[in-house]
Amino acid sequence: MNYLIDILLIAVSAALINNFVLYYFVGICPFIGVSRQIDMAVGMGLAVTFVMCIAAFLSWTVTTFILIPGALLSKLVAGFFVSPEAASKVDLTILSYIVYIFAIAASVQFVEMYVRRFFPALYKSFGVFLPLITTNCAILFACLTIMSHVAGVDNPADAWDLGRALTLAFFGGIGFTIAIVIMAGIREELDFCDIPQCMKGPAITLVVAGLLSMAFMGFTGVDSGLKKALKSRSVKNAALEMKIENYDVTSVPGTARAHMKNMIASKEHPCLS
Amino acid sequence: MNDSLNGKNSGKLRVKKNFMIQAWLVLFLSVFFGVSLAAVQLTLSPKIKANKLNETMKNVPGLLPGHYAPDALKISRRFLTAVSGGVKKSYSLFTAMSGKTLVGYVVKASGQGYSDSIDALIGLDASLSRITGVFILSQKETPGLGGKITDPEWRAQFIDKPTDRPLKVVKTGARASNEIDAITGATISSRSLCSIINQAVSDVKGILESNEKSSQQVTGVNENG
Amino acid sequence: MKMDKQPTPLERFINGILPENPVYRQVLGMCPTLAVTNNLKGAMTMAGAVCFVLLCANVITSLIRDLLKPHLRIVVFTLTIATFVTIVDRFLAAYMYQMSKQLGPYVPLIIVNCIIICRCEVCASKQPVITAAADALGQSVGYAMALASIAFVREIMGTGMLFGFRVLPAVWPDWVIMILPPGAFLTLGLLMGLVNFVIMRLSSTNDKHAGGTA
Repeated sequence: MNYLIDILLIAVSAALINNFVLYYFVGICPFIGVSRQIDMAVGMGLAVTFVMCIAAFLSWTVTTFILIPGALLSKLVAGFFVSPEAASKVDLTILSYIVYIFAIAASVQFVEMYVRRFFPALYKSFGVFLPLITTNCAILFACLTIMSHVAGVDNPADAWDLGRALTLAFFGGIGFTIAIVIMAGIREELDFCDIPQCMKGPAITLVVAGLLSMAFMGFTGVDSGLKKALKSRSVKNAALEMKIENYDVTSVPGTARAHMKNMIASKEHPCLS
Repeated sequence: MNDSLNGKNSGKLRVKKNFMIQAWLVLFLSVFFGVSLAAVQLTLSPKIKANKLNETMKNVPGLLPGHYAPDALKISRRFLTAVSGGVKKSYSLFTAMSGKTLVGYVVKASGQGYSDSIDALIGLDASLSRITGVFILSQKETPGLGGKITDPEWRAQFIDKPTDRPLKVVKTGARASNEIDAITGATISSRSLCSIINQAVSDVKGILESNEKSSQQVTGVNENG
Repeated sequence: MKMDKQPTPLERFINGILPENPVYRQVLGMCPTLAVTNNLKGAMTMAGAVCFVLLCANVITSLIRDLLKPHLRIVVFTLTIATFVTIVDRFLAAYMYQMSKQLGPYVPLIIVNCIIICRCEVCASKQPVITAAADALGQSVGYAMALASIAFVREIMGTGMLFGFRVLPAVWPDWVIMILPPGAFLTLGLLMGLVNFVIMRLSSTNDKHAGGTA
């Protein structure tokens, strides 16, 4: 249950609150370049989502099983050359960026083949934009975020598992799609407006993006509110029991004990918030 | 006819030669880059680890009761996991000893702030009865509003607060010993930080005093700081 | 085979500054431009990092340009750029740790920064080392100027500070929106419009003069 709550929070955060385009500024190039028509925008957004999921899967796997110190495969291979102690300290994270960019290139190739085989009309309409997804910052950004939650945590037990990584990738892509589709809708309307010559093109798109970003700022704080609401409901009773037996109330002086009992009863206790 | 055949053969030979050159080129480049990356890793990696560690460690002495030179303290660190109702929360606990006497503890805790997560260091005295300082390691709150939780003057409110009752954030005029003045216009950030502190203090107190819950001992200092 | 007249090193250098400015004219490398221009210090660090990577990548690509064949180009570019970005990232983490934390994931994102791949493709793979190096330097100077202009506006309006030093008097109510994401988009969009306007004016006066004397 808690796992699902975590997944939900990661999803909401990646798609809406910390939107890849409007908050983290990644994926701007296609955002400006491809957002002229809604159907192109939808296609691009879904293609990016697809590539992101595959790339996230590849990068999580390689990071967890090869790159971080103490990873399974690096320990095995190094175990042939050095002592097991040293083998578990082999740290290959310096190769992460190279590995990720090649994983992304491979994913794009894969998706290109898939789209060419099953959606030939779509493939033709994409033209040169499909291979250009390789240089889309959003995908590398997703891989880097996953890396920071796998290789960059203090406590190895806190490292993200595959489910969380894929959730981030998928909903990050969905957030990108949402942003690009909204932008495409606005730009279709802008075509009928009288824009000064100097502002036409990227300039007005960026100003519109600024207003969109301002609108999305309204989502800030949604995940902390959501977290409080969901977590308190699911663990309230369990926490109540657990904490009461933990706070050995017999050892606490008189008035404080009554005070604590009151707090737990009136749900003011911080563990219940 | 012969000429074109010869041309075709020499063309094939050229393609093969090109392919060989390409393969050698990629191989050479990979080796060259691999060696330079390995050199960078060997020289810079210890420095980076030290940086990461120092970031936490250099703030630990300032949060403990009393004044100590950084070298006078021996600081050891372990990971604690508090489990309640299926929710796992991890903390890093730094124990500071001066000689044989226990000086105090510093807990590294993180939790949800208004925008993103807040990482904080909380200093506790040796008897776990007072908070001796709070330091914000990282936060992504609104600059100028919630971002003011890093302000040393505002953080000084936490010094000497008792730990028997959870801290409460009030908007104006904190009077009772467990009340904290909120930052104007940043009530949620202030409340989030307080709830992180309350949760961390109660969890750590529970673990250290009972010593029954699951805790992982890591001797020495972890690489990631 | 008759070769078209290729730009000289000096021309490449000057081109990079305004006529082919990577941010305002070519509209490339938007991601770090918006993200790190919160303050001038971060912007200049990013510009320095991009300059290093661009220079090294251009030089290496130019050295091996005769051996590169079309289907292998992208792989070699990517490998080169990724290596140098890793080096810069580690260097920053070792010697400028706070700045590295502030810039965060945007330093590795230099790998997919279109500016570098574009310059390798357009210039370095076709011209000798000196020209490629001049091109890299010119583009870096142009990039740095673009970043500085945006960061200047954002930092002064958003915090009243420049490089961390308070410049505006305390009466200035900090427009916090400028250092948040919307401010980035708005500043860049409006500045881009301004640059377009200036260039249009300049080219129209040139046309008028040319038309007048013709």
